[in-house]
Amino acid sequence: MIPSKFEYFAPASLAEAVSLLSKYQEEAKPLAGGQSLISLLKLRLASLKYLVDLAGIAELNYIREEGAGPSGTISIGALTTYAQIKESKLLQSKCPLLPQTASVVGDVQVRNRGTLGGSLAHADPAGDMPAAILALKAELKAVGPQGERWIQADDFFLGMMETALSPDEILSEIRVPVLPDHKMIYRKAARRPSDFAMVGIALCLKARDDQTCEEISIGVTGVTDKPYRAEETEKRLRGKKLEPKIIEEAASAITEGVDVMENMHASQDFRSHLARVYVSRAIAAAGIRS
Amino acid sequence: MMNLDEIFVTRNWVGKSVRRDEDIRLIKGEAAYVDDLDMDCAHVAFLRSVYAHARITKIDTSKAEALPGVIAVVTGPEVAKQTKPIVARAITQPAIQYVMADKKVRYVGEPLVAVAAVDRYIAEDALELIDVEYEPLPVVVEIADALKKDSPLIFEEAGSNVLLHDTLEHGNMDAAYQEADLVVKEHFRVHRYSSTPLETWAMIAKHEKGNDSFVVWANDQQPGRSTANVCNTLGIPNNRFRLIVPDSGGGFGIKLAIWPHIVILCLLAKKVDKPVKWVQTRREHLLGGSHAPDCDVEIELPMKKDGKILGLFIKDIENDGSFVHTAGIYGLIKFATMVGCYDIRATRAELLSVVTQKGPTVQNRGVGKPTMIFVLERMMDIAAKKLGLDPVEIRFRNFIQPKQMPYTTPSGEIYESGNYPECLQKALSLSGYDELKKRQIEMRKNGKYIGLGISAGIEPGTSNLGYYYTSRGVPEYMGNAEGAIVSIDYDGNVNVVMGSVDQGQGHATTISQVIADMLDIHPERVSVDSHLDSLVSPFLGHSGAYSNKFNDVDLGAVIMATKKVRDKMVRIASHVLGVETGGLQVKNGAVCSRKDEQKSVSFQEIASLAYKKILLLPEGVEPGLKEIAYYKNPMAKLPSRDDFNVQITHSNSVHVVAVEVDVETGEITFLKYVIVHDCGKQLNPGIVEGMTIGSTVHGIGAALLEEFVYDENGQPLSASFMDYMKPLAGGLPRIELAHMESPCPYTLLGTKAVGEGGAIGSVAAVANAVEDALSPFQVKVVSLPITPQKVVKAVKETKEI
Ligand SMILES: Cc1cc2nc3c(=O)[nH]c(=O)nc-3n(C[C@H](O)[C@H](O)[C@H](O)COP(=O)(O)OP(=O)(O)OC[C@H]3O[C@@H](n4cnc5c(N)ncnc54)[C@H](O)[C@@H]3O)c2cc1C
Repeated sequence: MIPSKFEYFAPASLAEAVSLLSKYQEEAKPLAGGQSLISLLKLRLASLKYLVDLAGIAELNYIREEGAGPSGTISIGALTTYAQIKESKLLQSKCPLLPQTASVVGDVQVRNRGTLGGSLAHADPAGDMPAAILALKAELKAVGPQGERWIQADDFFLGMMETALSPDEILSEIRVPVLPDHKMIYRKAARRPSDFAMVGIALCLKARDDQTCEEISIGVTGVTDKPYRAEETEKRLRGKKLEPKIIEEAASAITEGVDVMENMHASQDFRSHLARVYVSRAIAAAGIRS
Repeated sequence: MMNLDEIFVTRNWVGKSVRRDEDIRLIKGEAAYVDDLDMDCAHVAFLRSVYAHARITKIDTSKAEALPGVIAVVTGPEVAKQTKPIVARAITQPAIQYVMADKKVRYVGEPLVAVAAVDRYIAEDALELIDVEYEPLPVVVEIADALKKDSPLIFEEAGSNVLLHDTLEHGNMDAAYQEADLVVKEHFRVHRYSSTPLETWAMIAKHEKGNDSFVVWANDQQPGRSTANVCNTLGIPNNRFRLIVPDSGGGFGIKLAIWPHIVILCLLAKKVDKPVKWVQTRREHLLGGSHAPDCDVEIELPMKKDGKILGLFIKDIENDGSFVHTAGIYGLIKFATMVGCYDIRATRAELLSVVTQKGPTVQNRGVGKPTMIFVLERMMDIAAKKLGLDPVEIRFRNFIQPKQMPYTTPSGEIYESGNYPECLQKALSLSGYDELKKRQIEMRKNGKYIGLGISAGIEPGTSNLGYYYTSRGVPEYMGNAEGAIVSIDYDGNVNVVMGSVDQGQGHATTISQVIADMLDIHPERVSVDSHLDSLVSPFLGHSGAYSNKFNDVDLGAVIMATKKVRDKMVRIASHVLGVETGGLQVKNGAVCSRKDEQKSVSFQEIASLAYKKILLLPEGVEPGLKEIAYYKNPMAKLPSRDDFNVQITHSNSVHVVAVEVDVETGEITFLKYVIVHDCGKQLNPGIVEGMTIGSTVHGIGAALLEEFVYDENGQPLSASFMDYMKPLAGGLPRIELAHMESPCPYTLLGTKAVGEGGAIGSVAAVANAVEDALSPFQVKVVSLPITPQKVVKAVKETKEI
């Protein structure tokens, strides 16, 4: 690792971290698990004057249930790692989408260090967690010099590695609803087991016993410059019977209105095709009650 | 093969899977790679071209030189003034290239300026202060671009982008075409890939002001040749250059031509008061750390209706990128064993080496054989389909038969031993081939597509280095050989110094097994130093680790040197014990009388005579117990276009693969992977297994994942491990390995090549399996790698991968 020179801070509290960021603004960045930021620094694709390491801020690492019943939520500190999410019994039973998604991010080393907050703040267009967060309609808490504010998942991702956070804000908490009647599925197309998604589909689906789709939300990643909700597909399914023909029609709208990316692993056509196949398969896997 | 009784006194160790002696050290982090050497160094960083083709109109390094901490800077034009151009081995056209870009840059990543600073951070910072003005030139990326009439020239002096064009014909091809019932033709394209050893290139160069000489520590894989190349390029006498090769973390050919960078480091070292060190970054390695060339192969098989192949034509165009040193080699090596395992009596090979603006190429594991076997074994399946024959049957009808061994191919390659039909038979039964065939039919009914692929490959070893004679007259190097020094120390233990080097192949373990059985001692009593010091190691121009030569000439040298030492010990013992040498035997670390084993003198006692009580030595026996031997393979022929063997040993293997292809997503999953491998006598089956499986995984990567992709401007798109995709454990099959042992009559122990075979056979086998899986969709596989995108597209539209 041969980055250009930077000054390193290791604040012990969130308040201290925020004050450093507000002092240095664009010249500083928080460091969480480092699984994206360190790569950028070592290849000198990013250079910073100040690095604010969040690792020592214990108050940002937790998973806890707030309130009970259908209106209950689970709060997750931004520094919680993929590995902690994957292993969390609470999440496994009450929000299985997150452990499922975390378990297919990168490899063991990446999961041991990479954090939920880092993944969302980094907003990689092919990141897995952003899709899950969108499907869950999570709320995100940002803390800055002016205090805290809540941002809806749908409003968080603005573009390629661009979020609603300002440079002096820290993402501190992610709050997800407990959805006991929903089936949750994450499906990812990747060249190798630990690769970024060519397409990732996160699905929350509530269906009646007669296979009618009551509620559905779909987060899509890997397809365009930012993760998005597949609203048209959702619309075509809501209130409908989950039959192959209807699913197929709905799936064909998965990339509607988005500018599909292209790279050496997948052309626009292939990526759109994969998105259709994966969303169909996800629905098929979730919608059919046995 | 020598009479083994003349070599071994026991058979306790050879042939056993002795644990690798090297591993504890490596695993505990106690190895000393170049980067671990504790020296006070200046650190080097390279400014590399960002253009694929451009004239350099200005290089201004003044700001960089002014940066505090920067010690010295050299630019390409300065280096060109102080050095000779890079020596070319195979090409015929003149093409002048220096170790650094001079007047123009020819690929992205070509070194342009080198900076030495107090640390690497400052050296890298300095690069950002260098001002280079480029005048971009039109770019040539793919073979087809390079061959166009009005293509821009990469080397103007060559007058063409084709630097070698030769046709070699053996046997009567015209007759083959005339007698043929049909000619099966195909056109294949194989992509660019490479090995990517864990340890990248690393080197330290020190200039001794006193006598104007250099000492270099580098992880060089062929120090014999590199030493000559560095001295020639710098224009210095041999005795002013000393090369030391410490531990090296993986080679696979990729460290065979690091010498141009050694030249640059030497020139920098001259400007600096302390040693200068450069460790290549992964990005540098993937950009220009050498690839195997991509190639374009047309192939024709004139055949009889019954499947018998009468002749083989290939037109092989190699995209050798822009490194003149090794350009042209792939085609020549490919041609040598182009008939594979088959009895084909006429061959014609038209070979072209083309320069483009892709990165340098160098010999990578298997050197062209993976592609040749891919093309040939694909053709066997394609021909079988055409003739309505089973792919197994067509191979049986064409195999060279065991009774034909030793078999000389039309061009003069001698296949010394092997039973190809039995090898295939064994692989079929081990894989449950017939069962899998039945399952394939069953599964298709449920919309699941599984496919079976077979490949039979030849894995040659020990290059007869004169193979590029075809183009450049009498070659500088011929034959193959290696050197070894074996000594007995005060304690009666054995020490070995080699002329070759080790990148992880386990040479030390294997050598200690052989010597243990030659002297009846425990292998722990043998220490092997597989590092090299050109001042003391017994090296030759051939020295190094490449072309699977270890099992042959390296061990040959060890055996010969050990015999010399053993003979000397017996002679001293004979004097001490008063028994004729014929009445003595080596037993349990001592020499004793055959009749009366009580009459015995230990190695340690003999050593004390040889080293200390030298007055007690017999008349005419020199003090000391250290012997040097060089061993050359006796089978290498003298260069000739009509009759020449490019390689001297020939292992073979059959791979049988079953895959399932998801035709909607293009995903490929392995269901079965079986290899039957014949590398002659195995000295350490554990090591053979490790090598074969690792090598196979590389071939699987080549078939499905790994690719150096360039855009139309010659910009590399796969310069990190995110996009240059090595296979990961998660996507791989469990590989089942079985062996046959057909001893090689021409190596001392009956051994043959091992290490490259997996990479050679696997590419074809995987491709054949995928095509078989997709046969309901009439898809043909003629290119690599087989990516999900290509699979889906072929199934839906193009019918071709
Ligand atoms: C080999 C490898 C494979 C990978 N594979 C995948 C994969 O399959 N799927 C996938 O989704 N990702 C993958 N990743 C990326 C990984 O998920 C990263 O961990 C993640 O993108 C960033 O999280 P982090 O905690 O490491 O953040 P860092 O790298 O430390 O930071 C990333 C960015 O977020 C900012 N940041 C971090 N925390 C906060 C915060 N609390 N508030 C505000 N800003 C913050 C940083 O300033 C920085 O800009 C892979 C990475 C590697 C190295």
